[in-house]
Amino acid sequence: MFRGIISMAKRELVRFFRQGHRVVGSIAQPIIFWLFLGSGFGASFQAPGLAGVTYTEYFFPGILLMVVLFSGIFSTITVIEDRNQGLLQGILVAPVHRMAIVFGKVIGAMVIGLLQAFLLMLTIPFLGIEPGIGGVLMLVLGLVIAALGFTALGFLIAWNMESTSGFHAIMSVFLLPLWMLSGAMFPMAQAPAWLEWIMFLNPVSHALLLIRMPLYHPASELLGSSQYLQAFIVALLWAVGCLLLALYRVNRTQQSA
Amino acid sequence: MISIKELNYFYNVKKLGKRQALASLNLNIAPNTFFTLTGPNGSGKSTLFSILSGLSQPNEGQIAINGLDIVSQQSKIRRLMGVVFQNPALDKHLTLAENFQIHGDLYGMEPNLLKNRLAEDLVWTGLSDRLGELVGTLSGGMARRVELVKALLHRPKILLMDEPTNGLDPGGRRDFLDMVDKLRHEREMTILMTSHIFAEAERADKVGILHKGSLLAVGSPQELKNRLGKEMVVIQTADRQHAEFLKEQLAKNHHLKVWAREGELRVEGVDKNTLDDLLSHHRDRFNELAIKRPTLEDLFIHITQDRKV
Repeated sequence: MFRGIISMAKRELVRFFRQGHRVVGSIAQPIIFWLFLGSGFGASFQAPGLAGVTYTEYFFPGILLMVVLFSGIFSTITVIEDRNQGLLQGILVAPVHRMAIVFGKVIGAMVIGLLQAFLLMLTIPFLGIEPGIGGVLMLVLGLVIAALGFTALGFLIAWNMESTSGFHAIMSVFLLPLWMLSGAMFPMAQAPAWLEWIMFLNPVSHALLLIRMPLYHPASELLGSSQYLQAFIVALLWAVGCLLLALYRVNRTQQSA
Repeated sequence: MISIKELNYFYNVKKLGKRQALASLNLNIAPNTFFTLTGPNGSGKSTLFSILSGLSQPNEGQIAINGLDIVSQQSKIRRLMGVVFQNPALDKHLTLAENFQIHGDLYGMEPNLLKNRLAEDLVWTGLSDRLGELVGTLSGGMARRVELVKALLHRPKILLMDEPTNGLDPGGRRDFLDMVDKLRHEREMTILMTSHIFAEAERADKVGILHKGSLLAVGSPQELKNRLGKEMVVIQTADRQHAEFLKEQLAKNHHLKVWAREGELRVEGVDKNTLDDLLSHHRDRFNELAIKRPTLEDLFIHITQDRKV
């Protein structure tokens, strides 16, 4: 099974780098969002407890989250394409465990998302933030959890969809709002009470904290922070839960299809 | 050996409820046989293919492949089977070599074994110099060859092919079927191919004719065609009215069985007197008259018309 997983994950990477427009789009899009929205909202951004933080800086963790979200979406949308082109059937008739399909796809998509996020992390020094080695490692851990959650969720949705247009619709009304209501674009404290509750219940808000907090706090401090630990547990449960659901769904296909 | 007993398969159509795709199907395919399952579109060929390849499960009935139960021993069966789908299961963004590598990994093949088998198979399929090319740049016929090579890499005992010539031009279709011919003579394996083109089934050792989910006839192509006698007459008329008139005349005056479809008549057991009668008295009622040997398509028309009556 291990070789099957590596093979499937490698396929995702080769396909990604071989499609130039995907590479350019996935790098350019978050930078454009970041610079344009960061500049546009910069003058009007004021949030309690965030004095001296520019909107460009505030928005940065949200952009990192967006990178892994979009990577997860666009990589898992290929599940639908694979099925429509007959490729998935070719994999399903092979004597490899169905788990290899999920793990291969998820690992491949995660690596693509993380590579993009690492590229964007090169701008951290220009924001005037100094997270230190420990902070960077904790940031990477947060990105891994977020990437796992989004990719597994994307896989789960794509597995049940018949068309890519249907997947795009789900993306617009479900996945993007998850990101928007995570605190990526505006702080939770600024939202009305009802929205604040929704944001608190959104597991992606907790994943965002795993990305935002390491930028400002050393690793030792984070490990003692109840806010960080709570975010870590919720985000990890969400990511692992999505992965288990994806595995269950694919395994059920094996039994009933 | 493929053994199918009392196979039933239903699927749900929204708002219309259950629809039966396969009905009480019984079939035995002996080892090392080239078996073609033929029938028109919607006859249930692809459904049966989907069940045999493990993508769908039967609702009722039993299927054993080389003695293994298709439901409970599917993982063992998968190792025995090579599958060629209607649309090649190839990643067009990858090269031939990369596609073969993924297949080898999924089937747990060691790199050296994969390399040796590729070297062997690429020669006879004429793909040796194309390993580095992207699948997306190949013609339809070439992609089919790649798909066939891929399906054979793990040396299956059973090769399943679902309408493998679908979408190919006549040349590509002939080339592909020639390769299948070569394969069956050089390697010991059972081949089950589906095709809606009756002429393609003529190459098989055994043919099964499927219609509306039921198996109507099974036998060698020659056995099946012999059911219609040695020769038959096909008459093309200008319109349905002429066809109906001739059908009535042949039945009434010559006591012959006639099958009419649109303006075409197919008549079995025509003798010289009947031909003389047609040519001398009814020449103005038809455009063309041909004496020909029956084909599997004729047999299909024969059987399905009988079932309508």
